[in-house]
Amino acid sequence: MTRSRRVTLPALLVGLAFLPAGPHDPVGAWRAALDLASGELRFSLVIEGPISHLTGRLCNGGSCQALSAVRVEGDSLVLELGEYAASLAAVQRGDSLVGRYHNVGRKGPRTIPFRASRGRWAVSAGPPGLLGRWDAWFESGFEQTPRVLEFRNGPRGLEGTVISNSGDYGLFWGGMRGDSFAIAHFDGSFVYLLTGRVAGDTLRGIFHAGLRSQTAFVATRSTGRPHLTPPTAVTRADTSDRFRFAFPDLDGRPVSSEDPQFLGKVVLLDIFGTWCPTCHDAAPYLVRLYRDYHRRGLEIVGVAFEVTGDSASDAPLVRRYRDKFGIPFPLLLGGVSEADVVSALLPQLDGFTAFPTTIFLGRDGRVRRVHAGFYGPATGAQQEALVREFRRAVERLLEEN
Amino acid sequence: MSETTLPPQTIERWAWVGLAWLLTIPITAYRSPLTGQTPPELEQERREFARWLETAPLSPYAILALQPVGRGISIGYEPSDIPLAIGTRGMAQEANGVVTLDLGTSRLVLPHGRAVPLERYQLVASGAPGRTVIAAYGVARRHQPPTYFPYAATLSLGVTLEPPERRGRFRILGLDGVETEATEAGFVRVVLGGTAARLRVYRIGAPEDEEAGLLIFARDGTSGHGSYPAGRFVELVPEGGQRFRLDFNRARNPFCAYSSAYPCPAPWPGNVLPARVEAGEQYPEAPGATGR
Repeated sequence: MTRSRRVTLPALLVGLAFLPAGPHDPVGAWRAALDLASGELRFSLVIEGPISHLTGRLCNGGSCQALSAVRVEGDSLVLELGEYAASLAAVQRGDSLVGRYHNVGRKGPRTIPFRASRGRWAVSAGPPGLLGRWDAWFESGFEQTPRVLEFRNGPRGLEGTVISNSGDYGLFWGGMRGDSFAIAHFDGSFVYLLTGRVAGDTLRGIFHAGLRSQTAFVATRSTGRPHLTPPTAVTRADTSDRFRFAFPDLDGRPVSSEDPQFLGKVVLLDIFGTWCPTCHDAAPYLVRLYRDYHRRGLEIVGVAFEVTGDSASDAPLVRRYRDKFGIPFPLLLGGVSEADVVSALLPQLDGFTAFPTTIFLGRDGRVRRVHAGFYGPATGAQQEALVREFRRAVERLLEEN
Repeated sequence: MSETTLPPQTIERWAWVGLAWLLTIPITAYRSPLTGQTPPELEQERREFARWLETAPLSPYAILALQPVGRGISIGYEPSDIPLAIGTRGMAQEANGVVTLDLGTSRLVLPHGRAVPLERYQLVASGAPGRTVIAAYGVARRHQPPTYFPYAATLSLGVTLEPPERRGRFRILGLDGVETEATEAGFVRVVLGGTAARLRVYRIGAPEDEEAGLLIFARDGTSGHGSYPAGRFVELVPEGGQRFRLDFNRARNPFCAYSSAYPCPAPWPGNVLPARVEAGEQYPEAPGATGR
């Protein structure tokens, strides 16, 4: 070995160690995961170029959302998630990303270790023994609260959802490892992971929320008997008199239940928020209902309860929502998205808890039905059943004199 | 070749020194759990927490006042229950669970848990309906970042959660000085300084709340002598089944340690460790105090 080569070897090793880590080209598909306490939450990232103008998507199986910003800062790749003031920041070393998910918490920062490697997660289907509907009890100390769990196989493998008395938590995606399942929903704000094991007709597992919050659950096969409070029994209403409402529209003009447009009509009052994913799930079905039944006497009116309650900032959000879904019926501005505020502004309601809530008024203006929540596409057959139920209810009301 | 060019031997010597130094990095990192060096992930958590204290709009460094609404409180120019350097003053009241601030010319709804701007301040209503409190936040004051006892690997304990004794919901004051509902999650047993103790664990928050958790609020031999006198919070980190990590290096002060605007939680019944738990967050003592 020559002297010059002996000099080169250690010098080369030292040099390699101090090579700058970036910038690398992050464009492509990434298998991503958040490392929760004793649980791995899997999701996917797709970054698209050119590097001067990066964009990206965050996907739970086939359900994707656009990242609000993608940029390279020094040796880090920073991904901003929606309007949640949340981000993923990671150092890229070759084909791996290592960093943190970050969100502003109430009692400290909400940070969770994050990692990704190039490629796509393998598709992993669930066995017949897991698929279908389960009645679950979430257990905390001496308390048990009901949930329904849904599992099915989609084009990207095992998926499903968790449903509570106020609606579903959106699409969960994941797979099986041995006899254990793990499905997750991560959208930048909600960090949910459902893990468990099948043992005959019983599921046992853990529902993870965020880094450390864990709730044990036990579930048995649904018998078909109601396990959750029926959506029509969550919120009650005064049926002794006409149901009255009065709110400004997006241009500030007052609209009320006493306007000629609504008198003698069947009216669906949809209490929603542009921030509420389940409301986005419901909107296309309300539009279809309106198109199918408006000529026969159906009116729909949406009342938006928004994050600020300030019409100057809420009206543009609601206009965007209206345009996104092509909503032909009036949308009004209710105020701040707080259950207490809704209750105060619509005092004939009792026990308002869920966005959206749909109030069905007969031709006499009295409440016939209050439906809390809406089953999103993640609930599969339940959504189809609900849509049929809404149509039947509207048809019955239209037939009343 | 100029006279200042280093001879090949010198380059070689320095390159070997550099390589040897690089090799010490993994060795040092490996030694850390045994020698009391703070693990990097805990260092990072502490840096992020210090940054949150400095920058979060609702940080305890930014709080100005926190008052129960009761039958109504005044907010605005002095004299007010919550005095703010603004040109208006109004009454905040709670009716049917809705908190409103009537400023005469305008009326603000204060939804629970959400910041509502009032000129250059932020108002936040929180707590259970009928027992709502309003906090006012301004610009974060400059503070020294929190300080910590040296890392103590022996004070990161694996524990088993034993079943709870009492059913029902209990009203307790949380880390943030706001009354909250909790359920008893159980007990953990620890042996420290040769003394056994049984610590009560409360579960705070609903299953879907990402900031929910299993918490212990406890006093120990350092309380008032190096750590915060009222006690400190530690969160149990799940390790599977009924096993948890109780890491006193992650013990945190209640928010009343950062600002006297917050009320301080009372020690939870029985949660007293006679031993000095020299780990986790410290509390700077008043000048002249002893025992540090």
